[in-house]
Amino acid sequence: MPPLVEVSGLHFRYGKARVREHDDAWTLRDLTLNIEDGSTLGVVGESGSGKSTLVRVLCGLLHHQHGEVRFDGRDIREWLSESQADLRRRNQIVFQSPRRSLDPRMSIRRALGQPVRSLERRVPSDTELTEWLERVGLDSEILQRYPHQLSGGQLQRVGIARAISVRPSVLYADEPVSALDVSVQAQVLNLLMDVRSQFGLTLVMVSHDLGVVSRLCEEVIVMKDGLIVEAGRTSEILANPQTAYTEALVTAARTVSLAAPDR
Amino acid sequence: MLEIRDLSVSIGPHEIVHIDALDLPTGRRVGLVGESGSGKTMTAMSIVGLQPADAKVTGSITFEGSELLGRSETEMAKVRGGDIGLILQDPARALDPMMRIGRQVSEAIRIHMNLSRKEVGERVLSLLAQVQLPDPEQLLRRYPHQLSGGQQQRVLIASAIACDPKLLIADEPTTALDVTVQEGILELLVQLSDERGMGILFVSHDLGVVRFVCEEIAVLYGGRLVEVGPTTAVVRTSRHRYTESLLAANPGLADSHELEEYVGRRFDVIRGSVPALGDFPTGCRFRDRCDFASDACSEPPPTMIGEHGHRFRCWNPAEGTVNAAAG
Amino acid sequence: MPDDSAIEPDASRAALKRVFRTVVRLPFPLFLGAFLVMSFVFIALLSFFWTPYDPAAINVPDRLLPPGSDRYIFGTDRLGRDVVTQLMLGARNSLYVSVLSTTVAVTIGALFGLFVAGTGPRWQGPLSRIADVGLSLPGILVAFVLATKLGPGNTTATLAIIVWFIPVAARVTIGPATQVLALDYVEAAFAYGRSRRFVLMNHVLPNIGPLLIVLASVMFAAAILIEAALSFLGVGVQPPTSSWGRFLNEAQPLLEAAPYLMFFPGIAIVLTVLGFNLLGDGLRTILDPQQARTGIF
Repeated sequence: MPPLVEVSGLHFRYGKARVREHDDAWTLRDLTLNIEDGSTLGVVGESGSGKSTLVRVLCGLLHHQHGEVRFDGRDIREWLSESQADLRRRNQIVFQSPRRSLDPRMSIRRALGQPVRSLERRVPSDTELTEWLERVGLDSEILQRYPHQLSGGQLQRVGIARAISVRPSVLYADEPVSALDVSVQAQVLNLLMDVRSQFGLTLVMVSHDLGVVSRLCEEVIVMKDGLIVEAGRTSEILANPQTAYTEALVTAARTVSLAAPDR
Repeated sequence: MLEIRDLSVSIGPHEIVHIDALDLPTGRRVGLVGESGSGKTMTAMSIVGLQPADAKVTGSITFEGSELLGRSETEMAKVRGGDIGLILQDPARALDPMMRIGRQVSEAIRIHMNLSRKEVGERVLSLLAQVQLPDPEQLLRRYPHQLSGGQQQRVLIASAIACDPKLLIADEPTTALDVTVQEGILELLVQLSDERGMGILFVSHDLGVVRFVCEEIAVLYGGRLVEVGPTTAVVRTSRHRYTESLLAANPGLADSHELEEYVGRRFDVIRGSVPALGDFPTGCRFRDRCDFASDACSEPPPTMIGEHGHRFRCWNPAEGTVNAAAG
Repeated sequence: MPDDSAIEPDASRAALKRVFRTVVRLPFPLFLGAFLVMSFVFIALLSFFWTPYDPAAINVPDRLLPPGSDRYIFGTDRLGRDVVTQLMLGARNSLYVSVLSTTVAVTIGALFGLFVAGTGPRWQGPLSRIADVGLSLPGILVAFVLATKLGPGNTTATLAIIVWFIPVAARVTIGPATQVLALDYVEAAFAYGRSRRFVLMNHVLPNIGPLLIVLASVMFAAAILIEAALSFLGVGVQPPTSSWGRFLNEAQPLLEAAPYLMFFPGIAIVLTVLGFNLLGDGLRTILDPQQARTGIF
């Protein structure tokens, strides 16, 4: 089976293309990677490495300038021009800040139903909405509430419920737990794992937290300045980093890890 | 150096913080750990009189023998930046984008110390070098947006230690920074503390970070101190169930040889979430979320004392024998 | 109570109760504002059917009588016309011009602003410049040009104010709209297939709504005064047609002799502007899901 997502020679930059393009003007440079169906992929790197941008290009939210991105065998540009709704339905995102990912003026009921309304052109029934909420451990009572009345953890669960309501093939999670309390992080991460195995999703998670990535993601790519510097099995890469950059990331993560030896 | 006794901070009908006793010996690095709603920031701010206007603060906070609470704003202004330095969470927001770096760092010096212009300039340069910023002369004339996050935080540290404070209060200083940058800042803080004999009150939700920097850790839940003690004791042989679950919830990066077996393994969760201000249970505030809660927990737990000043308040603590405090 | 509700007396009474409860929970400013605005609108409409004195009547012997005089509650102006009548007549034009011009200008300006914000960083710059060009047009000049084509009057004044205000509304909208577009929930909306148009109208517009309401309130106040100035300059309504602004301007030279003549139209303008502001405030409150409804009791 061919990989679900195939990327080769991907170049992306924000803003207008100029006649002379310097190397460092590119946010993503010459990226090549494959994502297998049903896999879990972590995307790590520092701020400015382009990891969030990469996710948006793979989703089709940003249009790349050079290179090829194929989703399920078809070029993404073809998807976007001919069957954009299908592409969107099969690729969903969970965002970092739960408070910013829900429109403060929309009730939870309305917000939760948006993807189905937009992509399946129908209004979801209350039964469905309740079911979706139950999947993420929330009570249907919150349907009538507004975002400001819910906690960060609850909002993030709503975000996940909303994303999987259209049964996507790939779930992209951009720093899904960084804005949450530690005790809530564990809950949401477990939820992601459960949801992923329950629906057979492909999970692509961007995170700066190597500890989290090492648990959720079997594969990982390490990004720096728009390039992929290392890619492979998470446990191998983190145990034996091949580049100085990855090694620096691992060392820094170990410094503040509770598993490290005492000083 | 810093002694907190019976500190109570209330907003409206809710008592947000109640700390019976917390000490910070001279030159010691103590961490204040808690999640949102734990009151850690409120506590730190109350020390320097920066609590919200509608917060009522009672109790005693003595710094080098003299009482801090109840002082006028002018008196507190003298303490802040002088004897007590302060660094806050988001470096980008703490710096005035319209002011050059040199000027911002020199502000504290000009307020608290009586130096000539030349002396101030020299001191600023020396400070920038001490926080390991490259090319200090060039840096003086730059604006904040021209610096990286890590550099901005170093500038803020420089400003905070400009007048040789005896205590530095740092509230989530590395949360907004990349992990490699964070390592550098944390090491810098430890180094400055050792070199200057400067104490640090390090406030953070990240136990791993606090563990790296601090010699002692105080864990807060719902505005109450649940466990205090030497870092190793609190982390390795934690007694309070909340501390135990907090450690289990985010263990960080496992050892290399254990990585493979942890893939796909679920996290240990703490049931439920932090209740809203008015919804904490009576007695032990953590009991609704605790797997070990018993009937006794409906009464506030007594202070138990372990070794080396390790104390905690739990009816059903984790392992080991306990000695109940007298009275 | 008539017996037609005998079939389900409880249901209709319960419904009435619910309506009543909702109404009393509305914020107080909304009530006050609505009351003020509706009062003046009522007065304006009433003037078509009845005024205390004949609108056209000039009664020079009775000129400049102070308020509280025999037959004139608020006094008379320099031509002996009853002040109350003049106020009622003036309400027509002042309200008509300012409400119409503000509504049209804010609507068109905001829609244009939304459009510009939605075009993204590439086109936003050049398009904003168009709005800026509009801003730099001297409004009075535009008014005069229009007057030469259409002659002085309400229409001219309204059009002039509209042309003047559209760039302002656009400019004010572009910034906040751009900010909202950068938020995650907008990105999420795109991620589940919403079109740009949907996002602009259903996510951005409601979230900048409060801002637009405030803008409209401020513009309304300005419009009344601009209408007055235009009338004064001969571009707006001409005598004998009246507006509060004109009334105000005619009263100015008589400040010493009859200070009350400035007072009445001034108060009318102030109260109407206040009414619209309160209405705007109240509207913002009830539209905001986060605001607790405190009600008047």
